[in-house]
Amino acid sequence: MNPLQRFAALSEGRPLDRLPCVPIVGNTAARVIGVRTSQIRGVADLLARAHAEAYRLFRYDVIRVFTDLYVQAEAMGAKVRVPEDETAYLHEPAIGSSSEVDRLTPADPGKDGCLPIHLEAVSRVVDDLGGEVAVTAAVTGPFTTSSFLVGAETLARLALREPAVVRRLCEISLETALRWTDAIIDAGASPSITEPMLSSTVVSPRQFLDFGLPYLKRLVGHIHERRKSVTLHICGKTRPVWSLMTDTGADCLSIDNEASLVEAKAAVGERVRLMGNVPPVAVMFEGNSLQVRQAVRACVREAGDNPRGLVVATGCSLPTETPFENIDAMVRAVDEIGWPPRVAEVAA
Amino acid sequence: MSQEAVSLISRLSDAVVAMDESETIRLAQEVLVQGIDPGQGIEAGLVDGMRRAGDLFEREEYFIPELLICSDAMYAGLRVLQPHLPRGAIERKKGIVVLGVVEGDTHDIGKNLVKVMLETAGFEVVDLGRDVPPAVFVERATSAGAHLIGLSTLMTTTMGAMAEVIRLLDEKQARARIKVMVGGGPVSQQFANRIGADGYAANASGAVTVATRLRKASLESVAP
Repeated sequence: MNPLQRFAALSEGRPLDRLPCVPIVGNTAARVIGVRTSQIRGVADLLARAHAEAYRLFRYDVIRVFTDLYVQAEAMGAKVRVPEDETAYLHEPAIGSSSEVDRLTPADPGKDGCLPIHLEAVSRVVDDLGGEVAVTAAVTGPFTTSSFLVGAETLARLALREPAVVRRLCEISLETALRWTDAIIDAGASPSITEPMLSSTVVSPRQFLDFGLPYLKRLVGHIHERRKSVTLHICGKTRPVWSLMTDTGADCLSIDNEASLVEAKAAVGERVRLMGNVPPVAVMFEGNSLQVRQAVRACVREAGDNPRGLVVATGCSLPTETPFENIDAMVRAVDEIGWPPRVAEVAA
Repeated sequence: MSQEAVSLISRLSDAVVAMDESETIRLAQEVLVQGIDPGQGIEAGLVDGMRRAGDLFEREEYFIPELLICSDAMYAGLRVLQPHLPRGAIERKKGIVVLGVVEGDTHDIGKNLVKVMLETAGFEVVDLGRDVPPAVFVERATSAGAHLIGLSTLMTTTMGAMAEVIRLLDEKQARARIKVMVGGGPVSQQFANRIGADGYAANASGAVTVATRLRKASLESVAP
């Protein structure tokens, strides 16, 4: 089975050869073709080749064209530092205070920041591999993009002091996300939402309800209108908001290793597919292939029987220098379990 | 202390927990008007309130926005009371900590909360901000006579910079004098052990526990 056939079978409840497996490869893709991380961020051909070759090397089930979370905020005026060979990071928010919110405008994916480069890369990967594997591009959620526009600490204070300003920021960020989503779908790919600032490590379920749910519902609704399904990833703790995450309408929830697949299955497994949650640092980056195999088996033991299906994935994006043999070991461990996805208690 | 004073100070603590900055300021001024020891107002009022807010955070009743607003109220109250402390009364220093987010990362909420909780617990904090090169941690810790360096990052991509700070301290043979504690999203005890850090904390209150333990251990090791 190829990855597209695998996902189709999973959705239709037919047997498949193995569970889908997604080690969330980001800048590690640069290492696969031997270039620097700044090169894949800034050159469409290299970004496309890096992700296509990483897929060919490891044979996982979703290609996610991704370098960092800041591309949308950058296209709206946030300043991003791009070290030559390390992941880009936010240098300065787009605005200095809440009074400047009205200066912000939604980004144009056709011309702002590095969105056109990423779009070109997405389109090349689709041309190359779209017939066998889902090609996705990351869409940073409205609340997280807002945190890059005004600064995370400022946003956190505004959430309690000036909620109307936060809503205004989320509205503008949503418009950028919708445009970016349309561009991604027009290029033949699918969006994949990531919204780490809505983690329960950061904000309360009440704040998720106010500043997350309304905007994510509209974003997911739009994606569904365009006949695409979508995964929602939130890092850190999420147990208090699994139900709200499901209420967004997302087809799959991708959860961190700080959250429990067993508990998520019990809470929302009847309503939504789950994706997770091999630890990206402690196991994938620092561990060996034996530990990777054990972690994969633990995920499958916990949620291989999730009513709406399980995608064996890492809990978050992989560190750039994750050893190739561990990524390989992850896919092999899922292969080894095969179908049906059952792991005997004693087999660990 | 009179019953009235006790009640005022407990209301001061409550105002911090309730995130009520203007009420905190008003009650802090009331402490002065009533002639109550401002040191008591700080310790049993403001700092106590911040500790309770930290407990609520641990229990997932408060989240980062709430904790930040509580700390704003606490600092507003401190600005009222601190100038009235008698000279030499601020001898509650448990140690000097140089704190910062490592180079390549600008996520500093976690670091700022660690700063609040360390100050609340009586440490003096030298805040180097974010995106701080490894050599700067070592220089500033040396010049400030710091006992501890606290390193924070939220990114897996910048964890290597933490190891570099420890390497530089080793090179200067300063490890006995300056202990290193690490924390932040992707950081684990396992990672801390691997790079040879002296302590790891999962959150801001944990950082206080670790800093206190490391300070105590250092003091005991130099005692005759």
